[in-house]
This record gives sequence, C-alpha cells and structure tokens, in this order.
Amino acid sequence: MSGAKILLVDDEKIFTRNMAKLLSNRGYQVEAVNSGDEAIRALEGAAFDVLVLDLKMPGMDGLTTLQEIKKLGLFTETLILTGHGSIDTALEAMKLGAYDYLTKPCEIGELVEKIKGASGQDDAGNPLSGPAVL
Amino acid sequence: MRHEKLAVSESNSSRADTKPMKLKNHKQTTASDAEPGNRLRVYYKRLFRRFVSLTIVCSLLPLLVVGWVINIHYTGFARERLIASFHKEVDNHRRIIELFLKEQRAKLQLIARSHSLSDLTSQSNLSRIFDLMNREDWSITDLGVIDSHGRHLAYVGPYNLIDKNYSEALWFQKVMENDIYISDMFMGFRKEPHFIIAVTGTRNGEDQEKWILRATVDTEAFRSLVENVQIGKTGEVYLLNKEGIYQTASRFGSKIMDKADFPATGIHEGIQTKIVEPETPEGQTAPRQVIGLAWLEEPRWLLVVKQDFSEAFNDVNQANWAMLLFLHVSAASILLVSVLVSRHMISVIKKRDVEAENLNRQLTQTSKLASIGQLSAGVAHEINNPLAIILTERQLLLDAYKNEPNLPEGFRDQLLDSLGQIDIQIQRCKRITTNLLRFSRRTESVIETVDLNRFVKEVVELMEREAQASGIKFFMDLDEKLPPLMSDPSQLQQVFLNLLTNAIDAHDGKSYGSVTITTSVNGEGPAEAPGIWLKIADTGCGISPENLDRIFDPFFTTKAVGKGTGLGLSICFSIVRRLGGELFVESKPHRGTEFRIFLPQRPPAELLQQMNEAPKLRPRT
Repeated sequence: MSGAKILLVDDEKIFTRNMAKLLSNRGYQVEAVNSGDEAIRALEGAAFDVLVLDLKMPGMDGLTTLQEIKKLGLFTETLILTGHGSIDTALEAMKLGAYDYLTKPCEIGELVEKIKGASGQDDAGNPLSGPAVL
Repeated sequence: MRHEKLAVSESNSSRADTKPMKLKNHKQTTASDAEPGNRLRVYYKRLFRRFVSLTIVCSLLPLLVVGWVINIHYTGFARERLIASFHKEVDNHRRIIELFLKEQRAKLQLIARSHSLSDLTSQSNLSRIFDLMNREDWSITDLGVIDSHGRHLAYVGPYNLIDKNYSEALWFQKVMENDIYISDMFMGFRKEPHFIIAVTGTRNGEDQEKWILRATVDTEAFRSLVENVQIGKTGEVYLLNKEGIYQTASRFGSKIMDKADFPATGIHEGIQTKIVEPETPEGQTAPRQVIGLAWLEEPRWLLVVKQDFSEAFNDVNQANWAMLLFLHVSAASILLVSVLVSRHMISVIKKRDVEAENLNRQLTQTSKLASIGQLSAGVAHEINNPLAIILTERQLLLDAYKNEPNLPEGFRDQLLDSLGQIDIQIQRCKRITTNLLRFSRRTESVIETVDLNRFVKEVVELMEREAQASGIKFFMDLDEKLPPLMSDPSQLQQVFLNLLTNAIDAHDGKSYGSVTITTSVNGEGPAEAPGIWLKIADTGCGISPENLDRIFDPFFTTKAVGKGTGLGLSICFSIVRRLGGELFVESKPHRGTEFRIFLPQRPPAELLQQMNEAPKLRPRT
C-alpha cells in the first residue's frame, strides 16, 4: 500500500521541488504546485489526503485559497506552512478548519509526523490505530 | 532555552580595542550634554527672573506707587492741619495778651473818668484804688498821678517817685497828645525794664487841666502771661517791639530789652505762619522751625511763637515713618514670597519637564520599536524561506548519502561534517529570526498567576552556577507582602534571564561582584497603580552615558561580533511594556547598573482582549 497523497503548495519552486522529493523518498505521493489557483485546479482534478499550504504567496494567498477550497467543497485536511511572521494568519487559517500549522524552516521529520496526524495513515499508507498525535 | 547576552557591559572582552573610542565618545558626550544643560539652566533662570519681574511689575510697583502717593497726600494734609492748629494757637495767645492789656487800660480809664484829681492825689484813696486793681490778680506794680507839667503828684508803689518830673519823657508827651498810651519796655527812673499804661483824666468843672493816671504793669505778671505758655520742649513765645527789642524774655537766652536777631518784619494784619531754617551765629543751619507771627493792636508789638519743626511734626513724622516702614516691609515680604513661590514653581516645572522628557523618550522608544518590529517580522519571514530551502537541500543530501553506502571514507566524513555544520548554522539563523519575531511581538501570551518572589528564586537558582563561575554573588531582598501577579511567566522569565545574564556579564574582567535583586510593593509607581517593583542592581562596569540612551535600541550591542544580537534589552523593553509595565535604567560607569521594572498587578485590557481568543487557537493534539 502506497503512502498518503499529498498536495504541496508553495510559491518557492525550489522548496516545493525539494520537499516533494523528500516526501517521495519517504513513500508519499506528492504533487507540487506554486500558487493557489494551481492548487484549486489540482484539487478539482484529483483527491488528496493532505494539503500542505504556504500562507504567504503572491496572487491568491494561502488564507484565500483555503476559503475558496471550502467554498468549492474541495475540503481536504490542511497543514499550514508559514514563516513565524504570519502565525496570527496561521491561527486564522485554523479557524477556517486547517488541521495544524508548521513554521519554516521545519525538519522533514516534523512535517511527516504532522502529515501522519492529518491523514490518519502512517507513511506506508496503513491507518493509524490511535488518535492523531502531533 | 538560550538567552542573549546583551548591552549593559557586553564589550568587556574587547575592552582593549574599544577603550580609546569610549574615551573620545565620553568627551564628546560631556561637551554636547553640557550645552543643553547650560541652555536649560539659562532657560530656568530666565523663567525665574520673568516670574519675579512679573510680580514686581504687577504687585510691588503699584503697591509702592500707591503707598508713596498716599503717604505724600497724608503728609501734606497732616501738615496743613498742624499749621492750622499752630495758627489757632498763635491767635489765641494774641487775644489773651490783648485782652490783658485792654483790661488794664479799661480799668485806668474807668478810674480816671470816675475820679477827680483831688480824689486821686489823696494817698489813702490812691492806695485803696491800687489795692482794688490788684485784688483779683497782681498785675500792677505801682500807680501814680502826674499833673500836666509832668510832676508826680501822688504815687502808690515800691519806689519813691513823688515829685519826679516826666515832662521830658516820651511817654508823657505821647499820653498828653493821645490821652492814652501804652509804652514799650523802658528803664526809667527805677532802672529796671518795665512798661506803663497811662491815661489822661479831665473833669469839667473840677479839673482845669489834664492830668495823667499812670500804672506800671507788673513785669513778672506780664512775662508769665506771655512766656509761660508752654509749647512742647522746644517751643517759645515772646514779644518784640517795632524796633526788634525784646518786650518779654525768650525762653532760650534773650533778655528783655535785648535786640533780637529775628527780623521784625513790617506790620501786617492777621497771622503769618512759616517754616524757616534759621542760621546760627556760626553760620550753620539750625534745625527747622515753625514760626507764627502776629502784631498786637495796641501797642504794636509782634507776638512771636516758635517751635522746632521736628517736634511740631513729631506725630506726623512718626505716622509717616510707621507707614513707610509698613509699606516697605510689605514690599519686601511680597518680594520674598514671590522669590520663594517662583523658586518652587521653577522646581515644579523642572520636575514636569523631566517627566515629559522621560515620557517623550519612552514614546519615541516605543514607536521606534514598533516600526523596527514590523521591519524585523518582514526580514525574519524573508530569511525563513531560504532557510527552509537550505534545510531541504541538506535533508536531500542526507537522503542521497543514506542510499549510497559505498562512498569513499574521506568524502563521507567531510560530507557528514559539512551537513552537521550546515545544521548548526541553520539553527543559529533560526534563533536570530525567532528572536526577531519575538521582538516584533508576534508571540502568544499566556497569563497566569505568578508568585514573583518564588519566580525570582527559581530564576536565580537557574543562574547561580554561571554566576559562581564568574565570582558573582546573588543577594535577594524580597518583600514578603508582595501580592500575586497576573502575568506571563515565560515572558517574565525571559526578561529576568536577560537582565541577570547582562548583570553577570557586566563583571567580565572582575574576579568578584554582586547582583542584588529587590522586590517591593508599588508605592511610587505610575499613578500609584497596584503593582510591584523588581530591581536588579549589579556592581559591574556600568554603561557610559552615550550608550545609556541606546541600550533599548534593537541590534545595539557592545559585545563582540557573534556574541550578542543586540536584541535582548529591546525584547525586555517590549515584553515589559506589553505586560503593561515600565522598565527604567540607571547607571554609573565603573560603579554599576540598576534596572527597575514596574509590573502591574493585572495585565492591560488590550492584552487580555488579545488573549480572549488564544485558547481556542491552540493547535489540536
């Protein structure tokens, strides 16, 4: 059984590329996009277990993207990825239903733990037995 | 938890390098500080002078002008009244003398007209009449009857004047001519100064020729009438004839028949009163005198009444002096009060100015921190993104390394070493950005009940090992009555740790020293707000005046490069202000530094408002 399907949204292309590779190395199926519009299109095209969303992006920012996704009924468990400077916005995003937030720069291990919690699966795709733990 | 070692004494390790610069700065600071200090002193002096001048112009000058005008008017009025009173005195005296002379004259006329020459030449009759004339008071020395040839026919008196012939005497001729005559003082046969009143007697039928009834006025009685009028200690009264010969003696030396120095002015009606400055025979000016002059009707004698001006106007002068004394004492009192009040006002203004200056400095500091905070947040965010990429690159390298077990040993060691170093540097950058973001007040507060004394003890315990290593001793003076605080313990801990670390670092280069931590209930805090004071005083190297104004500025540090970020005290300032408190610093170079923190018993309303939603926003577990 393959790992959870993840949509990675960040305007930093190198970051998304690297992060996608790191997650793939850990058995996840990752699609990386670089804007909110692309994220909505990807969600319309396929189902994902976890959405990893950067808050500060040019054009449609993370918060607006999340609102749009909710509006379009495409809701997916979301992890907010942010610099420290936008923790308030991250908290705002959690009010919109985001699962949790992470501050950049974050260790891959930390992200993987949160993805497990959000998806309810381990990295091999098996359901977690107990409740999600951060 | 890692803490910044900050501003206060941070450059001790590089003391040798910074010393010349410090000295130079110190000189510059002294010069530039002295100038505003002087300017302020001049300003306060000018303000003081203005207050005092204003009081002088608005109250002192009007008081003095009004006082002096009233005094001048009063003096003039009082003098007029006194002169009028003196005038009246002279008039009364003249009337008394004239009345006396008229009375004597009338008596003689009555006798002359009611008696014949033969009646009066009878010695017994003349003696009886003489007694009758002197019955009420002794005023006549003698009484005589003289015929038209000047021969003394009858005489009653102490001298032997019978048969004396007066036909050549001036008075005889005058009385024969005018029927009545009052003489000036003269010596006559008796060789003593005296004056006479003589009237003619004619009785139709019995006396064929004029005869004369002559009385000599008793000189002593007349003198006592004139001279015994006492006018104070310096007053005197006397009579002069037209030639300026004394008719009565003056009180101070001149005798009857002496020639007076006083010029007998021309005959005038009424009374003249004047103030003169007589000259002594030596040519010196004697004290001023008030003089009243009045001519008698008959004889034409000049009544002179004199008194020293100072005595006559003694009461007025005393009243004058009392009034002027009171006026000037009042003026001096107003001046004194004005000076004292002005001095007090200046000190109040100075205090207010210092408070305003402090407030302004805090306001500037706060706004500076706010704008720098915004900038810091942006910078931190921008740095975090490339850091995140570097971190992913490192992890990719680690992943690749794990998939390649056959790497040459040297390369593998170098790779692991470099990856480790990259991680260390990333963590270092992360600390900086975390501090920047904390400084920008984006961190979340948790308000709990804090027992500050216990809290202080815990933090001190935490720091004690580091302090002991540097030879520093901690002393605590904690007020047991301290009320519990509602505050953020984690942020307070950061403040205490920063300040204690700085206090320890301030002793860098010294082998011993102390840090005293004091807590007390607020008795002097802003608006006496309920709260507590925490003081941290060290015996370290202190902060130079030029640095003291900058220690709360972000990125200001005197520590060596890489040792401090210069954010610690900015964060302390920002945290304390956020918790509704105040942070003050006082320092003397080479003596030590004291940080005083005021913390309110309850956090400010705006912080609580921010806190309201915080529990809901806690990450899910």
